[in-house]
Amino acid sequence: MQQKCGLFFCSYRAESALFPSGFQRACLAVFLLALTVTPLVMNSYYVSILCLINIAVIGAVSLNLLTGLCGQISLGHGAFFGVGAYTAGILAAKGVPFLLVLPASGAVAALAGMAFGLPSLRLKGIYLAIASLAAQLILEYVFLRWESMTGGSNGLMVMAPSILGLTFDSDLKMFYLTLVVAALTVLAVSNITRTRPGRAFVAIRDHYLSAEIVGVNLFAGKLQAFGLSSFLAGVGGCLWAHYTNFITPEQFNIGLSINYLAMIIIGGLGSVLGAVFGAVFLTILPEALNAVAGVAAQVLGGDPTASLAALKGGVFGLVLTLFLIFEPDGLAERWRMTKAYWKLYPFAH
Amino acid sequence: MLADLSGPTSDVSTPYASGLRDGAKYINDAGLLGAAKLKFTLVDYAYNAQQALSAYKKFTSQDKILFLQGWGTQDTEALTQFVSKDKIPTISASYSAHLTDPAKAPYNFFVAADYSTQVRAALKYFKDNWKESRAPKLALIFPNVPYGLVSIPPAKEYAKELGFELVGEENVDLKAMDATAQLLRLAKLAPDFTWIGGTTQSTAVILKDAQKLALKTQFFTNIWGADENLALLAGPAAEGVISLQAAVTYGQDVPGMKVIEKLTDGKPQMTHYIRGFASMLVMAEGIKRAQAKGKLGGEEIKAALETLRDFDPMGLTPPISYFPDDHRPNMSVYLYAFKGGKLQLLAKQSLERKKEWLGK
Repeated sequence: MQQKCGLFFCSYRAESALFPSGFQRACLAVFLLALTVTPLVMNSYYVSILCLINIAVIGAVSLNLLTGLCGQISLGHGAFFGVGAYTAGILAAKGVPFLLVLPASGAVAALAGMAFGLPSLRLKGIYLAIASLAAQLILEYVFLRWESMTGGSNGLMVMAPSILGLTFDSDLKMFYLTLVVAALTVLAVSNITRTRPGRAFVAIRDHYLSAEIVGVNLFAGKLQAFGLSSFLAGVGGCLWAHYTNFITPEQFNIGLSINYLAMIIIGGLGSVLGAVFGAVFLTILPEALNAVAGVAAQVLGGDPTASLAALKGGVFGLVLTLFLIFEPDGLAERWRMTKAYWKLYPFAH
Repeated sequence: MLADLSGPTSDVSTPYASGLRDGAKYINDAGLLGAAKLKFTLVDYAYNAQQALSAYKKFTSQDKILFLQGWGTQDTEALTQFVSKDKIPTISASYSAHLTDPAKAPYNFFVAADYSTQVRAALKYFKDNWKESRAPKLALIFPNVPYGLVSIPPAKEYAKELGFELVGEENVDLKAMDATAQLLRLAKLAPDFTWIGGTTQSTAVILKDAQKLALKTQFFTNIWGADENLALLAGPAAEGVISLQAAVTYGQDVPGMKVIEKLTDGKPQMTHYIRGFASMLVMAEGIKRAQAKGKLGGEEIKAALETLRDFDPMGLTPPISYFPDDHRPNMSVYLYAFKGGKLQLLAKQSLERKKEWLGK
């Protein structure tokens, strides 16, 4: 691990600390303070984007735990997210308090994830991807056809969450709620990477045979990864359901799964920070493209929205391809390089 | 307005959005709102609920919109609670019956009969014109998606009530390349009428395969299942297919067509364009009535829309009425048949405004 000049560790514990230097802790504190205070002066559009980023961070970080860290490709993550959303909707309608709904959504999604993770012992790589695609299709079918529970094609109404009498019925309140959960998710996954099971995940990803030889229980490890990842996806889904107040099966289609996969690829596979970067990047990208269309409309005096819209899909694909070619380790690696550059500046060599 | 210009429904959203844009231009040029002018902001949300949500937040917090023109299921349903909370009247092109119940979606409106009413009206027309003594046989083809499924329970229920014999149900995906297996099964059941609840592309696949198998049945499709593009996609296989629509087609002799022809320099537009244009006229009428009352806010526009009784959007759609407890615009559907590759009006079928059908 590359660290600040002058740091000298006397123990493994010190070396594996999340924030080994005071400077890093101070930067984090400033960042969190800014993140907490700035939404107070933002309009609800920007706050809503921050909410969506928080929810995307939870989804991306959770998928990164499964795919980036443990090497288990999943094309069904959007559906696990949906399981959490529907669980939240159903439980909330029955009057279960939000503080119970949140973990319960994760737990049900974890069960679903583990059930569909069972074939992972036998299936690897592209075969597992197809199996997880099957999970996506089956769960979408369940959302659509189990009408008595999910509302089927008519969707399900979800009320704003309430904790100890405080109702989260505005973008600002939802921002703080989603921020807390996203921060806890990032912290939890960062910590998992430092634990024995976390290192076992990495061993499974890097070489399953070697992992087994050194005593890692492959099946248990993979199942844990599926369970933990789906739990967090379920929590994200719960927040999404409570934020939008209305869920339909189409919201959790294969497009969402691919979006999460794109987030962790663009951010950097296996890196928690990368997943966060990817989530931020891909949530902002369509907004930025729309803003460009708006500015172009003003400058050109016409309405180029239609022609720019046709480019949007292409831009998304192009960004993904360019990242794979020029930045295969994602935004996290670029961040590390940038930090390294400034650490040595002005004496780069 | 929200439009899908780059997503999976862009083929029909683009002409609808053009209709809205030209409608806004006409309203401003003709001074329908007096000195007030419509400021029109369009966001392409690529048929993605998340992008629809952020676009909506931009509309409400930055653009301070009074009225929203939405598009499909993804945005309309994801925003139902928000528009209700923020009191933003919304006209969309997602025609699910549950959006017509003000108890569930108080700020949602649309200008076409809902999907359930559309299929009921077609069944009524077929039954009324059925000459044989035996019960007519009905088959249903639909994709396994919310939009496809939503019309099935009302279709089955009403078909039973009218005395149809339901002989088969098949699923054909919206992106299907082949429907032979499903049609082979249906061919054995020899349905007299076959409902297609997909989109134009999937309908074209079904029709071409049906032609290959020489399946003789009267196909009829819902509003997104067949439009002017069907003849291009399916060729002669489209001949005789009935498309249920809620607006006139380009060139029909109605007062609004003169305006549209002028705006489009006589370049033919799809029926979706005309519905988009008509929905702007309905919106303008709501705003105008609210203006006349003195206060212009979302709540007032909604209340004004609910006073519409047989409002005629220049003949472009059947007359529109909304009630405080019933947002069904009308109970009428146009049945168009493809003849020589063109949509030709076969009939206008109207149903009774039954209370028990509201929202179902």
